[in-house]
This record gives sequence, C-alpha cells and structure tokens, in this order.
Amino acid sequence: METLNFLGQGFGVALMPTNLMMAAIGALIGTIVGMLPGLGPINGVALLMPLAFALKLPAETALILLTAVYIGCEFGGRISSILLNVPGDAGAIMTAIDGHPMARSGRAGVALSISAWASFVGSTVATAGIVLFAPLLARWALAFGPAEYFALMCFAFACITGLMGSEPLKAVLAAAMGLALSTVGLDSNSGVYRFTGDNVHLSDGIQFIVVVIGLFSVSEILVMLEHQTSSSGLIRTVGRTMFNMKEFMMTGWTILRSSVLGFVVGVLPGAGATIASAMAYSVEKRLNDKEGTFGKGDVRGVSAPEAANNASANGSFIPMLTLGVPGSGTTAVMMGALALYNITPGPALFTQQPALVWGLIASMFVSNVLLLFINIPLVGIFARLLLVPNWLLVPGILAISAVGVYSVHATTFDLLLMGVLGIVGFVLRKAGIPMAPLILGFVLGDLMEQNLRRALSITNGELSILWGSPITIGLWAAAAAMLLLPPLYRRWSQRRVSAA
Amino acid sequence: MADRLLGIGCLLLGAAMAWASRSYAAEISYEPVGPRAFPLLLAAIFALIGAWLLVTGGRRTATPLPATGAAEAATATVPAAPHNNLIAVAMCAVAVLVYGALFQPLGFVLATTLMAVPVCKAFGGTLKGGLLGGLGLGLGLFFLFDKVLDVILPTGVLSFLLGGR
Repeated sequence: METLNFLGQGFGVALMPTNLMMAAIGALIGTIVGMLPGLGPINGVALLMPLAFALKLPAETALILLTAVYIGCEFGGRISSILLNVPGDAGAIMTAIDGHPMARSGRAGVALSISAWASFVGSTVATAGIVLFAPLLARWALAFGPAEYFALMCFAFACITGLMGSEPLKAVLAAAMGLALSTVGLDSNSGVYRFTGDNVHLSDGIQFIVVVIGLFSVSEILVMLEHQTSSSGLIRTVGRTMFNMKEFMMTGWTILRSSVLGFVVGVLPGAGATIASAMAYSVEKRLNDKEGTFGKGDVRGVSAPEAANNASANGSFIPMLTLGVPGSGTTAVMMGALALYNITPGPALFTQQPALVWGLIASMFVSNVLLLFINIPLVGIFARLLLVPNWLLVPGILAISAVGVYSVHATTFDLLLMGVLGIVGFVLRKAGIPMAPLILGFVLGDLMEQNLRRALSITNGELSILWGSPITIGLWAAAAAMLLLPPLYRRWSQRRVSAA
Repeated sequence: MADRLLGIGCLLLGAAMAWASRSYAAEISYEPVGPRAFPLLLAAIFALIGAWLLVTGGRRTATPLPATGAAEAATATVPAAPHNNLIAVAMCAVAVLVYGALFQPLGFVLATTLMAVPVCKAFGGTLKGGLLGGLGLGLGLFFLFDKVLDVILPTGVLSFLLGGR
C-alpha cells in the first residue's frame, strides 16, 4: 500500500510539464541514437549527461531525460536491425535474424510494429518488477556494512567478467584498469595526491565524462572506420504497418515469457540486454520452432529478443538504485551522472529522496507509453534518418562529444585527454579487452576502496571482517560461482557436443 | 603474439604503479589502511595477469557457450578488419587530437570545420562535403548550444562575428 502511495507521488513528479517534455525529448533522441549503427545506449547517455548538467536541469529531470534515452535506445535498435540488417545497438543483434527476412519479404511494417509492442510490454513488465522488488531489496540492503559492500562489488565484477565470453581474464584486466583510473587524484582520507604527475587538471581525478566519451564514443568511431559495415541496403517497401489479431495472439506468450526472462537477467549485475535477448531467442526457438520458420521471418523471433532486451534494460536499474552497484555499462554511466549531482545511489536513496526515485520509476512507465506512440506511427520518419551518410554523421558525433566534455570544465586538457583515451580505448578493444568492465571499475573504484578501508578500520586491520558475516560469505560464494560456473558449463557442453 | 605484448604492457603498468605509489603515505594516519594499499593491490593484479599472458601467450581458455550463442553476442569486441584502413584510423585519431588542441584558440566553429575535413575523407566523403558539412555543423551546433541552450562555447578568432566571450 505504502508502495502505491509512493508511486502515486512519483507520477506527480513524472507528469510535471518539464519532466514530461524531457521524457519525450529523451525518448526521441534515444530512438534515434539506438537506431544508428555504432551508437548505443552508453553513447546516448554519455552525450546527454554533460548537456543535462550544463543546462542546469534539476537532478530528477536530468535522470528522467537520461532514462528515457536509455529505454529509447532499446526501442530504436530494432529499426536498423529490421530495415538494414545491421543492429543499431548490441541488444538488437538477435532481432535482425528474423526481422530482416520479414522486411525482405515485404512485411517490414509488421516486424516494426510487433517489435515496438514487444518492447513496450517488456519495459512495462520490468518496470512493474522494479515497483515490486526494489523497495524490498533496498530495505534488506540497509543492513549492509562496509565489508558487505566490498564483497557485493566483488560479486558485481565476478558477474560482469564471468559472463564476458571467451576471455574472462581480459575482462578482469579491464576492471582493474578502471579501478586504477579511479585512484588518480586526491585521496580524500589522507590528503595525498596519487598518480597526478603534479598536473593541476588531474588533482580532482579524471573527469567521468571524459573517460566515458573517450573510451566509448571516440574509440567507437575508430572501430567503425576499421570495419565499414556492408549491408544489403535500406529496405523502403514497408507493407502493412500494423500487426493483425492473429500475429498479436501468436506472440502473446512469447512476449510475456521473454519479458520475465529479460527482467531476471537484467537484475543480475553484468548480464544485460545482449545476453537477455540471445537467451530469449533461443528459448523461444526451442519451444516454438516446430515448422522451422525461425530465422526466415517468424514474428515470434522478432518479438522475443525485443521484449527481453527492453525488460533487461529496465531491470538493470534495480541493482543501481537499491544497492548503488550498477549492473551494466549504461547504468554505471547513469550512476556517474548522479554523482555529478552529489547523489549516491543505494538503499538510503529510497528513504532520503523518495521523490527522485519514485519520479524516476513512474517516468519509466510514462516514457514507455510515449515510446510506443513514437515508434509505431512515426517509424518511417526515423527510418529516413538512416540515409544520413557516415561522413556527415561522424563529425557531428565528434563535435557534440567535444561540446559535452568542454561544457563541464571548459579546459583544453579535458579535450586532449578525451582524444588520448579514445585512442587507448581503440587499442585496448583491438587487444580484445571489453570496455564495460572498465567503466564499471572506474565508477565503483572510489566506493570500493573506501569501503575496504572503512571495513578494515573497524577491526584495526584484521582482514577476517571481509568474510565475517553470513551475507559476506554468501556473496563470496556467489562470486566464486559466477566465475567458475560458466567455464565449467562450457567444458561440459563441449564434451556433450563431441560425444554426440 | 599480440597477447604477449599485452602481457608485457601489463607488467610494465604494474611496475610503474607500484613505483609511483611507494611514496604515498599519510603524514598522520588515523586508519590502518593508508592511501598506498589499494594501488599496490591493483599493481599486483596487473603483474599477475601480465605474467600469465606473457607465459601462456593468452591462449583462449574456453570456447563460447555453444547452446545459447549468448557468449558470441556478449563478446562484442572487434572482429578482424576485412581491409586494413589503418591510414584512415590514424587520420581520424590525429584529427581528434588536433581538434582538442585547437578547440579553444580557434573557436568551436572553425575547429569543427577543420576536424570535419579529414574525418569526412576517412569515411569516404569528399573534400567539399567535409568543408561544407563541417561549417554547417559548426555553425548549427554553435547556435543551438551557445545561443539557444546557453552552453557556452569558445568563439576564438571569430569572436568579432559571434559575440566574443
């Protein structure tokens, strides 16, 4: 009951004219950013974050804008998957498998509308999940002390590295690099300047925005150059624009199942939209592919990954809001945005800033509705934007990136650092080092060190406090499982394949 | 081979961090763990990973999850380039650095135009496209941010035209 009260309050915040307008702007920008190949939610949020700050938007308005961008990206990614066969962002990779064949056979309109509907249901189910579970988790997490937090952050790193595919070691390396970058600057406990090389510009530490824009936007541009995507060209014949009753009924259970699955995957730190959509697709394929239509343009093959990637994007807000430990690259960036406003997410946020938290959650419902309206009737206008050539688009992205970086401190140093980090990011990505754990490390670095030091202050240097409570032991066990189970599972299934 | 180089890089990074942090000590200490411990811990992690990469050559320890295809999707790192556009990459990288350096002295509009020319060339555009596109972007974004949204941008050498600050 109490929750409903808070949610009502939240709608009061979300429906204020400025906030409503920001949600609409964010939804529009998000759809466009998500749609453009090479730009994903991290870029979208990273580009708008400094601008929101420079425009002096209040914290909840800025957060509503950024959230709408994030959700909008998950909606928009499908457009280029379907029409170009080039995924607009990582979460939409699976959508191309059935979406593009549908478009080629003249059913692009159906693919676009059913996937927009699936995205809407996925987001809404997951937002309802936030309303149900986030307050419970926040109440439970209030009991966490510094040792528990330290263990929790190690668990988050274990999740993000364990799920990172073939080279977990490089994901650990990336996380360590992020943590190392976060130690640059003044150590607030002792007044010692670390790794600044006596440079004034580094004494406050490296600007979060510079790191994100350098490592993601600039390096992404260099990567784009290296492998120019070859596509079969934009499909212009859209056909029937709305799905019919039969298609609606056919995808009903698929969408619901994928939404719940996506939500659960999203709540786990580290997993995220890419894995959620791949899992949802393979589950539906196994359950439903009786006539072998998956991969050739099945509506269920389009709706499953879209429902799941939206649900997981929304679900990934839970660990960030309730524990203060973001579970994905994008929520890590959002947490950095909150830090600009001196807001530290965590269990206390629900009691101290209910208007902010519940305004954000309510605005997710609002943005979903706006996005559904934007994405079905207006999709043709967006599709035309895909015709803007890269040679015009990329200088535009670079210019907006530079404006974002410059708007924070107005120094040449930050702009140069952005360029250097972009080149470093490019080299690291070529070496197979993923960027998401790096950014998570950078965001969590200070918190992690502070909690470790605080925990050890309690016991005067005795390390045993780090595994001294049932919660810490549970978290360490879960972290070990996250690191050890994926390789074991791979070995096991490999043996099964080779035995068969 | 590339992974061995990465390993050497990690070892050097670890050593540099350890060397740089040797002097980090609080003058008066209130807590058992000072400012040196965390960097040293990270340096140790770099050294361990570096040594492992150097010795094993970073052979892939596991194959991706075959059943779900999730792992392939998750390792969205860069596939090998079909044709090596190293020159284009270098051109863009230099353009970004020069852009950063000239952003304040030249002003946003001119610096953006100057950056757009090589970047446009690298992405297969023409010289004219780069010049016109860059100038258009520079002016358009300047008016949008500086005049409409009140995000102050440097006017540089064009300050007499754009109302210098």
